[in-house]
Amino acid sequence: MPGRVKVTPPELLPYGKIREDLFRPLSGLTKKYFIAILLPLLVILFGAYAWSVQLRYGMGVTGLHRPVFWGFYIVDFVFWIGISHAGTLISAILRLTDAGWRKPITRAAEAITVFALMIGGLFPIIHLGRAWRFYWLMPYPNSRLLWPNFRSPLLWDLTAICAYVTGSVIFLYLPLIPDMAQLAEHNTPWRRKLYKALSLGWTGSDTEWHALERAMKLMAGIILAVAVSVHTIVAWDFAMAIAPMWHSTIFGPYFVVGAIFSGLAGLMIVMALIRKLMGLELYLTKHHFDNLAKLLLLMSVLWLYFTLAEHITAWYGNDPSEMVVFGARTRTRFAFLFWLMVFVNFVVPFVLLGIRKLRSITTGVIASFGILLGMFLERYIIVVPTLSNTRLPAASSMSYLPSWVEIAITCATFAGMVVLYLLFSKLFPIIAVWEFKPHVAEDEL
Amino acid sequence: MASITWLLSEFRDKDSVIDAIRALRAAGVQPGDLDLFSEEPLELPRGVLDRPSHSSLVAVLGAAAFGIGGTAFVWYAQHTYEVITGGMPVFSFWGTGVITYELTMLGAVLSTFGYFLFESGLVFKHGRLKRDKDAPVPVVPPEKIWVRVRCEGGNTVRPTAALQEAGAVSIEAKTGAGL
Repeated sequence: MPGRVKVTPPELLPYGKIREDLFRPLSGLTKKYFIAILLPLLVILFGAYAWSVQLRYGMGVTGLHRPVFWGFYIVDFVFWIGISHAGTLISAILRLTDAGWRKPITRAAEAITVFALMIGGLFPIIHLGRAWRFYWLMPYPNSRLLWPNFRSPLLWDLTAICAYVTGSVIFLYLPLIPDMAQLAEHNTPWRRKLYKALSLGWTGSDTEWHALERAMKLMAGIILAVAVSVHTIVAWDFAMAIAPMWHSTIFGPYFVVGAIFSGLAGLMIVMALIRKLMGLELYLTKHHFDNLAKLLLLMSVLWLYFTLAEHITAWYGNDPSEMVVFGARTRTRFAFLFWLMVFVNFVVPFVLLGIRKLRSITTGVIASFGILLGMFLERYIIVVPTLSNTRLPAASSMSYLPSWVEIAITCATFAGMVVLYLLFSKLFPIIAVWEFKPHVAEDEL
Repeated sequence: MASITWLLSEFRDKDSVIDAIRALRAAGVQPGDLDLFSEEPLELPRGVLDRPSHSSLVAVLGAAAFGIGGTAFVWYAQHTYEVITGGMPVFSFWGTGVITYELTMLGAVLSTFGYFLFESGLVFKHGRLKRDKDAPVPVVPPEKIWVRVRCEGGNTVRPTAALQEAGAVSIEAKTGAGL
């Protein structure tokens, strides 16, 4: 029929079958699942031990020292906040543009956002050293007559992350309500209780559906504005300082692009794992991965554009203090990391995802792992070379290497992400069941 | 206290539901007396069963309240507990702008969520939702749509005929007391 949109095969399956397939992974605990959760738990325990060492002996156990006061913790913070852009931002864009292929992807992506934010939000607290005093950031009347400095980007971060976490949790929760109401119908007693409480007595009336759809549309618009602002503010943590190679007007958009880039890579990996482990090959098709790969390729090119723009202006300006950092990044101490970053962030995705014959789920996952490594390196290259080469010649050229404490805590956060995701996927359907059915409006196009 | 009869009718497709709503409206049933139950959202053509909403306005008002309130709070805090600024203004709109923006967005998020809970009747029943809080709720199996009609004074003849004409698979009547 001319002009008719062809819907993908899984969407043509009977609704009962879709429901059964997508609810099945929630029941039953296999040996594989226990092992998958146990191993990361051990890594988390070791990370917790490392943090306890830091709490007992102070920040001296880290590799941080004058003038490199920011190291792995800030890199981790920026990295995880970047990953968080996988979900809410991508989901909101696809929702607003009504992209049909988004349906099996959005919830998995939104869950990444919430967990990545929870993990990322820990790092400023870990970095405080005296973590138990983090509440000093909260503005409340106190006997110290001391209020936070609202001009400080640190407080901007706190406000932005609070707004983003709140929005992301609600954005994840809202479309879960109808699914939880369905799950409450036939389940084990404790699950029934949990889903019943969380679904707030959802009946499926048109009043409820209308309210939900309106709220989701509004939330998608709002969360988009918040997500962009959050990573811009993270960029301003650096750009507001008059430090060489940091004080740049494009840092905001540069960070946003980087965040979406790494977020998409994270999403690609998670989707591939879910597909394999939960047997969802029928629902997460090559078509979805192909679309994600194209988006990833676009972001790779955009990332290169911003990286070039950032570096070429510094090079042409030839400011002595900037050139020292520029040289350290591209020619001397950090050159290997810099060019490795360019290789895995641009060359690898360009070849694997750009050449149609090579583009597949496997190559997409390989490119995504490379991108995650590259984006971690990017943040390291932004943070460390500048602090190692400050404007004070006497303090310059100090080296920084992360200690075992920082590495253990970093590894624990990756393990934390795995555990949180595994728990989530056992409690809630990873694909929104009610959204999966094609809406009639779409069919009639 | 008038007696109320609820007609619960089952449909298998959306087109029949649209026909049923049109027939019921022609039979004098008000939109407030009609409810649909389904496992997925039903996108009805404009004018069939519109449910006007103030959600956008509430989001804007919530955003404005949080933005203005947050900025006022920062202004108060910075003037009451002054930090040393080296001659720069104690309160700066540029510096506070980020806080204002984020709180504005937080206000929009919270008010949208709050209004969703209110509008859907999930947490707080209001208006016709409060009136009908004891009405029978059908358990909707997949791919079925239920239409619930509220008939005051047991007047069910015309609505029943309208439902039958539109192709209802089954029609069930339940009686209760109205408010």
